[in-house]
Amino acid sequence: MAFWLFLMSGLAVGALYALGGVGLVLLNRATGVLNFAYGALGALGAMCAWQAMQWGWPEPCAWALSMAIGLAISLGFGALVAPALAKREPIVKALATLGLALSLLGVMNLLWVVTPRRLSLAYDALSIDLGGLRITATRLLALAAGLAVTGLMGLFLARTRVGLMMRAIAENREAAAILGAPIRKVEALAWGLSGLLAGFTGMLFGDLVRLDPAVLTFMVIPIVATTVVGRLTSIPVTFAAGLFIGAVESLSALAPPLAPFRLASPFVVAIFMLLWLNRGRALTFADKD
Amino acid sequence: MSFTRWPRQQWAPALAVGLAALATIFLANGLWMKVLTSVAIFTLTAMSVALLYRRLGQISLGHVALMGLGGWVALRFSHGFSLPFELNLLAGGVVAGLVGVALAYPALRMRGLYLSLVTLMAAGGFSIVVNNTQFPNGADGFLGFAVRATAYMPRPVLAQSDAAYFIYCLVVTGLGFLLVHLHEAGKPGRAWALIRRSEATAMAAGVNVTLYKVWGFALSGFLAGAAGALLAGSLQLLDAHSFPPADSVMICALTIVGGAWNWFGALIAALLFRLAPALLNDWGLNGNAAYIFFGLALIHALATAPRGVAGKLEEALAAGNRK
Repeated sequence: MAFWLFLMSGLAVGALYALGGVGLVLLNRATGVLNFAYGALGALGAMCAWQAMQWGWPEPCAWALSMAIGLAISLGFGALVAPALAKREPIVKALATLGLALSLLGVMNLLWVVTPRRLSLAYDALSIDLGGLRITATRLLALAAGLAVTGLMGLFLARTRVGLMMRAIAENREAAAILGAPIRKVEALAWGLSGLLAGFTGMLFGDLVRLDPAVLTFMVIPIVATTVVGRLTSIPVTFAAGLFIGAVESLSALAPPLAPFRLASPFVVAIFMLLWLNRGRALTFADKD
Repeated sequence: MSFTRWPRQQWAPALAVGLAALATIFLANGLWMKVLTSVAIFTLTAMSVALLYRRLGQISLGHVALMGLGGWVALRFSHGFSLPFELNLLAGGVVAGLVGVALAYPALRMRGLYLSLVTLMAAGGFSIVVNNTQFPNGADGFLGFAVRATAYMPRPVLAQSDAAYFIYCLVVTGLGFLLVHLHEAGKPGRAWALIRRSEATAMAAGVNVTLYKVWGFALSGFLAGAAGALLAGSLQLLDAHSFPPADSVMICALTIVGGAWNWFGALIAALLFRLAPALLNDWGLNGNAAYIFFGLALIHALATAPRGVAGKLEEALAAGNRK
């Protein structure tokens, strides 16, 4: 019985990792950028939403504000900075987003003094009872959103013309350009979508984890761990990995010697996956990372 | 190795650093002495990050965790065996060097982004483990931690006071620079240069690619571990919260901003990392606001100035000499 309870609560935690990971993979698939600023975008959105709610804005407006901020900044970075680095190695692009993350964190530290805050959403009050375990509607929303985004993105990439272009650009940017894919437009779309998701995810994280700019900004590190399992490209695998890591994290609470170290589960899972995925590979004659 | 081969524009920064160090010893009070000691220590860390980037083309996002490990081992040896400080320092460096070797294992199979992610994950894991084990503070047992115990790590016999310890850190960091320079001027440097160009070429030229990659990681880990031991000696005890993955990421970013290709790039990185926030706080500004500048500087460095601030300085000096 305890097993099922812990598993359920683990899946609820994992849903958050999964949702974050899906947004990261979406951008990486289309543009080849691993966005370390994903957490910072969400954090800024959530902080602004909190501020707006303090001023008495209704909650839906706060949600919209958070997503609009994520969208605007992500789009701005994608339009102004990313093209300059398009031909560089993946690690350079990833480091540039780290620069964005640090800048956003600086802005947040300047605007909001560090003090305990709480972001309370209407969904927190709703909950369902699963065999003695209370799951708030906010967690269910995270799980449902993760599932919906995974499904819709799968359809979008597989069935639509823009999705096809995204896959082509991710495969080979130059060749796709020669074939007439409007690279800038498609990439802008990806940056915008991922920014929108970051704002949405930031609200959920702000509610469920902690409304603190630094904490939310660096939440991107365990989230990156989930994307690693899907080789930074597979949205369904990333989603499943998020749930799996959440379950491992929660279930290790049942094994006393492991319990204090359970927060390390994303990192342990990611390192073993990276080693396993690259087993037997020799780098000497490899041309790609 | 010969110093006569040093280009002339290297001497001006060296002179400036020497003068700044002298000024610190005579002018700085307690707080600033501590800040500048940590600048000297983080210079060593930044140097070890820069070495990996410059010679092997690898970006490590986990070097502050290696510092933490070096610090842990140094504290453990110090409380366990009452050895002289220098031996604790070496022990911290050697253990972190061995972990560097362990990091080289994935580096034989991946590079670039994936390898950075391995180091980042390792840093994330380390911070969680050390939050549970804490740093040794003189208690019994393998972990050597107890809530009430507060034994301090003794400093080196030669450097008991803060000012003396500052000089001590400068000397160790200087030795670190010398060690790196000896490597780069010798056979390992030539091997690394070939490996960075192309591993296949290096192998064709008869370079033992595996050996020299592992060697580079070991040296880098050793330097970071030694820096951690120096930090342990500076504060005489360590706090488990002082080695978050965020700091590993930050020192890496600043190393690139400072310039990984020049020896004083590491110093600029450490100044930005430790001195800039302290200065801002002193002037009544929020020290964390420096992050805005750090982030923009990182993007700028990546997009247009791959050799960082140090590279720009060197260009300016070279231009000045030509006139």
